[in-house]
Amino acid sequence: MNTKLKAYAGNLIFSLNILILFLLFYDDQLIIPDWLQSVGRLHPMFLHFPIAILFLAFILEYFRFNEKFRSQEFYAKFTDALLLGGILSAGITVVMGLILSVEDAYEGEQLEWHKWFGVSLVFISAVFYVLRNSKFYNLVYAKAGTVILSLLLIMAGHFGAVLTHGENFVMEPVSTRASVSLEEALVYDHVIQPVFQEKCISCHNDQKLKGSLKLTDTLSILKGGKSGKLFIAGKPDLSLLLERIHLPLGAKKHMPPSGKPQLTEEESRMLYLWVKSQSDFKQKVTDLPLNDSLRILAASSLKPADPDEQYDFAAADEKTVRKLNNFYRRIESVAQGSPALSVSFFNKAAYSAASLEELSAIKKQIVSLRLSRMPVKDAELKLISSFKNLEKLDLNFTDISSKGISALKGLDNLKVLSLSGTAVKFFDLQSMFAGKNLKEITIWNTGISDSEIKQLKQQYPNINFISGYKDDGSSMIQLSKPVLKNNGRVFSDQLAVNLYHPRKSIAIRYTLDGSEPDSIKSPVYNGNLLIKESLVLKTKAFKEGWKSSETAVFTLFRSIKPDQISLMKAPNENYRAAGANSLFDAQLADIDPNNNNWLGFMENDLVLNLNFKQPKNIRKVGLNTLISTGSSVFPAQSIHVYGGTDEKSLSLLGILRPAMPGKEDKPGIKNLEVTLRNKTVSCLKIVAKPLIKIPSWHASKGKPALMLVDEVLIN
Amino acid sequence: MEKDFLEHGLNFNRRRFLSRLSLGLGSVALGSLLVPDIFNGDSSDSGWVPGIPHFAPKAKRVIYLFQNGAPSQLELFDYKPRLRDLMGQDLPDSVRRGQRLTGMTANQTSFPMVGSFVDFKQYGDSRSWISDLLPHTARVVDDICIIRSMYTEAINHDPALTFFQTGAQQGNRPSMGSWLSYGLGSENKNLPSFTVLLSKGRQGNNQGVYSKLWSSGFLDSVHQGVQFSSGDDPVLYLKDPDGMNKQERRKFLDHLSQLNQISYEEFGDPEISTKIQQYEMAYRMQTAVPDIMDLSKEPDDIIKLYGSDSMIPGTFAANCLLARKLSENGVRFVQLYHQGWDHHGNLPNDIASQAKEVDQASAALITDLKQRGLLDETLVIWGGEFGRTNYSQGKWTAGNYGRDHHPRCFSIWMAGGGIKPGISYGETDEFGYNIVKDPVHVHDFQATILNQLGLNHEKLVFKHLGRRYRLTDVSGKVINDILA
Repeated sequence: MNTKLKAYAGNLIFSLNILILFLLFYDDQLIIPDWLQSVGRLHPMFLHFPIAILFLAFILEYFRFNEKFRSQEFYAKFTDALLLGGILSAGITVVMGLILSVEDAYEGEQLEWHKWFGVSLVFISAVFYVLRNSKFYNLVYAKAGTVILSLLLIMAGHFGAVLTHGENFVMEPVSTRASVSLEEALVYDHVIQPVFQEKCISCHNDQKLKGSLKLTDTLSILKGGKSGKLFIAGKPDLSLLLERIHLPLGAKKHMPPSGKPQLTEEESRMLYLWVKSQSDFKQKVTDLPLNDSLRILAASSLKPADPDEQYDFAAADEKTVRKLNNFYRRIESVAQGSPALSVSFFNKAAYSAASLEELSAIKKQIVSLRLSRMPVKDAELKLISSFKNLEKLDLNFTDISSKGISALKGLDNLKVLSLSGTAVKFFDLQSMFAGKNLKEITIWNTGISDSEIKQLKQQYPNINFISGYKDDGSSMIQLSKPVLKNNGRVFSDQLAVNLYHPRKSIAIRYTLDGSEPDSIKSPVYNGNLLIKESLVLKTKAFKEGWKSSETAVFTLFRSIKPDQISLMKAPNENYRAAGANSLFDAQLADIDPNNNNWLGFMENDLVLNLNFKQPKNIRKVGLNTLISTGSSVFPAQSIHVYGGTDEKSLSLLGILRPAMPGKEDKPGIKNLEVTLRNKTVSCLKIVAKPLIKIPSWHASKGKPALMLVDEVLIN
Repeated sequence: MEKDFLEHGLNFNRRRFLSRLSLGLGSVALGSLLVPDIFNGDSSDSGWVPGIPHFAPKAKRVIYLFQNGAPSQLELFDYKPRLRDLMGQDLPDSVRRGQRLTGMTANQTSFPMVGSFVDFKQYGDSRSWISDLLPHTARVVDDICIIRSMYTEAINHDPALTFFQTGAQQGNRPSMGSWLSYGLGSENKNLPSFTVLLSKGRQGNNQGVYSKLWSSGFLDSVHQGVQFSSGDDPVLYLKDPDGMNKQERRKFLDHLSQLNQISYEEFGDPEISTKIQQYEMAYRMQTAVPDIMDLSKEPDDIIKLYGSDSMIPGTFAANCLLARKLSENGVRFVQLYHQGWDHHGNLPNDIASQAKEVDQASAALITDLKQRGLLDETLVIWGGEFGRTNYSQGKWTAGNYGRDHHPRCFSIWMAGGGIKPGISYGETDEFGYNIVKDPVHVHDFQATILNQLGLNHEKLVFKHLGRRYRLTDVSGKVINDILA
C-alpha cells in the first residue's frame, strides 16, 4: 500500500473517531434525515466486513513476532493494511450503527452494551494501530492487545446479534407455535401442547423417554411415566406434573431440570388451570366462560406478538386539523408519528350536526369518536358510518333512536361501542354484529332486560356486553340529612326557612317543637316556612325505596341587633375574629376552637357596650359560648348585664354564674342566657369574666381559662 | 545539528497538528448537521412536542384515589394468617434486620407482632384475598390489579406523599398530574387538565395535605392542579362578583388580555401568556364547572351505587362521583386525597370507620366507569404513601392496637387503563414485613403510569437549572407483568 493512501486512511480513521465522539455526546438530540436513515439501515450488512477483516488482522498481528514471519516484508505490510482497513470499516459501521440506533425500534440494555462495545473496539484498535510501531511494542503487547480486541469484537458482535435475532436465538428450541385465531383455538392443541412442545418434549419423546414419560401424544400423556400418572384431572394439587414444576429450582426433581429453559409463570399457571378444569383435550378456548382465568391467559398467549396498531392510511393535513380544533371539539393525535386521530366533543350547547359534518375532511383518520351526552340524532349516525377506520365510538346518553343504530353496521373496524343511556333496543343489537371485530358494547341504562342480555351474550360469545349496575331495590340506603341554606342562624325579625335536599322528589318533614319528625304527622316542607321566634327546627328527609335520613337539628335565634356596638377591652390576640361585629354577624361558629368566628378572652374581660336608637324592652341576653375542656376552653365565671337610658345611668339588670363543666363533659356550644329585670333600655353593658383558675381535675389546673364567644343574642 | 533535528520534528508536528485539527473540526461540523438544535439554547428533547403521547396510550385519563395517612395493608389487602399465630411475640431481628423505624417506636423495648383483627376471604375468579372491611371492593376484585409489593424510601407522611406525587421527597418538583398535563396537554379546554379534590375521615388522625403536592414546580403554571372544593364556591374566585354580568366580564377580560399582551411583548415572560390563557379558561370554566359540580342531576341509582355519603358534598363518596364526572369531561388527572388513615393507635375501630367511608365509593367508581365504557381508557389508582408495621405501636390487645409507619412493603391497587385486571402482583414474607417477590418501587409505579398514558418516562423531561428533570428522577422501570 502506498504511503499516501495510508496517510489518507489514517486521517479518515481520526476523523471518524471524532465524529463518533460527537454523535455519542449528542446521542439523544440527533435528527436523522430520511435519506441518511437508509445509510443507517446498511449497518447490519456492513458490519460483516470489520468482523471478518479485523479477525484476520488480529490473527496475523498475534503471530507477528514469530520467527517465520518476522522478516517477511509482505506479512508486515499485509497485516498493516488489513488492520487499517478493518479499523476504517469498523469506524464506518459504528457511525452507521449510531444513526440506526436513533430509530425507535431499538432500545434497552442490549443496545447500550452493543453500542459501547462497538465504540470501544474502534477507539482502542485505533490507539493500538498507532502504538504498534513504537519502540516499546513487543510480543507481549501484540498478543495481549489482539486477544483483548478480539474479545471486544466478539462481545460487540454478540450483543448486535441479540438485538436483531433476540436473546437465546441460537440455544432456544425451534418454535413451532402456529398462529391460530382465538375463535378456532383448542385449549389443549393450541395452548397446553405448545408448552409441552417447547419446554418438555426434548427429553420426553419417542427417542429419549426420560423417566419413561412421553409427552408427544394424548394417550402417552394420560398414561404417565415411571413415577405414576402425570396428573389427576380436576385435582392440580395432587398432580405429579404440577408438583415437579413447582419444586424449588435447585431441587433434584424439579422440572424442567435446571439449565434447561424454564416454564414462565403464565405457562405453569395455564397448566395448573387446565388440570384443574378437568384436563379436557377437545375443549375450545371460547367455550370457557369469558372471565375464566384460563381463558384470559390462553387469549393472551394466542395473541400475536406485536399488538401495536399499524395504520395504512396517510396522516391528515396538519392545517385542516388545526382549523377543525376548537374549545368544544378536540382533535388529538393518537401518538407521535401516528396518522390516527381521536375526536371528543364537549358542551352540549356548542354541538350541532354541522360540527360533526365538518369532520368529513378527516374521516379517514378518525379512530376514536366521543359524543357522550351530545344531542346526536339518527341522521348523524349515517355520517358517522362513513368514518370507516373508527375503532371506538362513544354514544352514551345521546338522542339516537332504536332505528338509527343500524347505520353503524358498516363500521367493520369498530371494537368498542358505548350505547349506555340510549334508546337502543334488544332487537337492534340482535342482528347487527355478526362477523364484526366488536369486542365490547356498553348497554347500561338502556332498558334491555337481563334475559335479553343473556341471549345477546349467547349469540355473541366474543363480545363483552357490559350491563352495569341496576338498582333492584335490594339496597336500601339512607338519605342524607336536609340542609339549611339560610345564610346564618340568627335573625332579627322573621326568617323564611330555606331547606334543601340534593335528591329530587323527596319529602322534607319538620317539627318546630323539638319533637322528632315522623313520616305521617309532621308537616312537609313546601318552600314556605316563616318563623318569628327562637326555636329548634328538626327536619328529616323521606323517600320511597330509601331509608329516611337522620334528623337534622337547626337552632335558630331571634335577636335584636344593636345600632352601635363597642368592645371596650381587647380580645386575646389569637382569637380576634372580626372584632366586635362578629358578635352580631348572625354567623354561628362550629365546635372547632380554631374556627375564625370565635372571639376569645383570657387576660381581659369581655366588656361590651351596646346602644339602641329606639328604647327596647329586653328580657334576655345570651352569650353563645364554646365549652371544650380538652382545649382549656371554659365558660365565663360570671356574666353581669347592666342597662339604662344612657351610658351614665346604668343599673345591674341580671347576673349569671354558669355551671362549670366536669371532667366527663363532652365539648359543646351553649347559649348562656341571662334573664333581665323588666326595664326599657336604650343602652346595655355586658361584662363577662373568663375563668381565672382552671379546676384541679384538669391537666392545666390553676391556669387561666380561655372563653370563646361567637354571638350575643338579645331578646 | 541536534537543534535542527528537534526543529524538524516540531515543524512536522505542527503541520500534523493543524491538519488533524482541521480534520477533527470537519468531523464535528459534519456531525452537527444531524443535531438541528445544537446552536439553539433550548436543547429539550428533539422531535417530540409536549402535548402528544410518545406512543399510542392505553389510558387517556387518571383518577388517583390517594389514601392519605397510609392505610394498613395488613387489615385490607395483605393477608397474613401467621401473624395471628404469633400474636404478641417479639418481631425477630432476622426479619427486621436493623431497618430503621420512626421516632415513635424506635425506643420501644419490644415489638409485639399483631395479626389483623378482621378476617379475610378470597373473592372473584382471581381468588384474591380481601379483608372483610372492604366488601364492595371484593365485588370488583376481578376488575382490579392488587400490588402487594410496593415500597418507598420515605418513612414520614409529608416526604412520602411528596415522593409519590412528585418523584422527590423534598417538594418543589412538578406533581404527577402536572407532568401528565405537560406531556399530554388538556383534553377539554374548558376545564383544567389537573384537578384536586379533598376529603377527610370522620375519625382518626388526619395528616395534612398541602397545595405544594399539586404544584407545577418548574413547569409552566398552566399545569398546576386546581382544587375543587365542596360548597357554593367550588373553585375559589371563579364566580363573578355581585353586580357584574357576563358581558362586562367579557369586555373586562378582553381589555386585560390586551394589556397583558403588551407587557408580554415588552418582557417576554412566558408566565404572562400563561396568565392570559388562565383568565380565558376561567371564563369558560364559569359555565362548565357549575354543571359538573351539580350532583343533584345524577339519577337515583347512581347515588345508590356510590352510597349515602355521595349526597353530602365534601365526602370521599361525593368526590368519587365528582371525579367520574370530571374525568368523563376530559380532565386528564383527577387527584383525590382522603385523609385519616394514620392509625398509630386505636386502629381496629378507626380503620373500620375509615374503610367504610371509602369502600363503596371506590368500587362504585370502577363499576360506573365500566358501564360507560370508560374504564378501558381511565386508570384508577387506590393507595397510600407507605404501609404500616406488623408490630403494635405501644400496648396491644387482640381488639385494640396501633401500627407505625412501614415503608418496606404496602399494598395498592390499580384498575382500567390497560392494567391487567383480576391479578395480584408481588408478595411479602409471612410476617408481612419484607417483600419476597417482585418489589415495586415508587419510581417503577410512576414509570408504569406514564407508560399507560403513552409516555416514555425517560423521555418526558424538562430542562431546568441546567438539568433535565423527570418524574422518575434517574430510575424506574415499567412493570410489564401487570400490563394487559
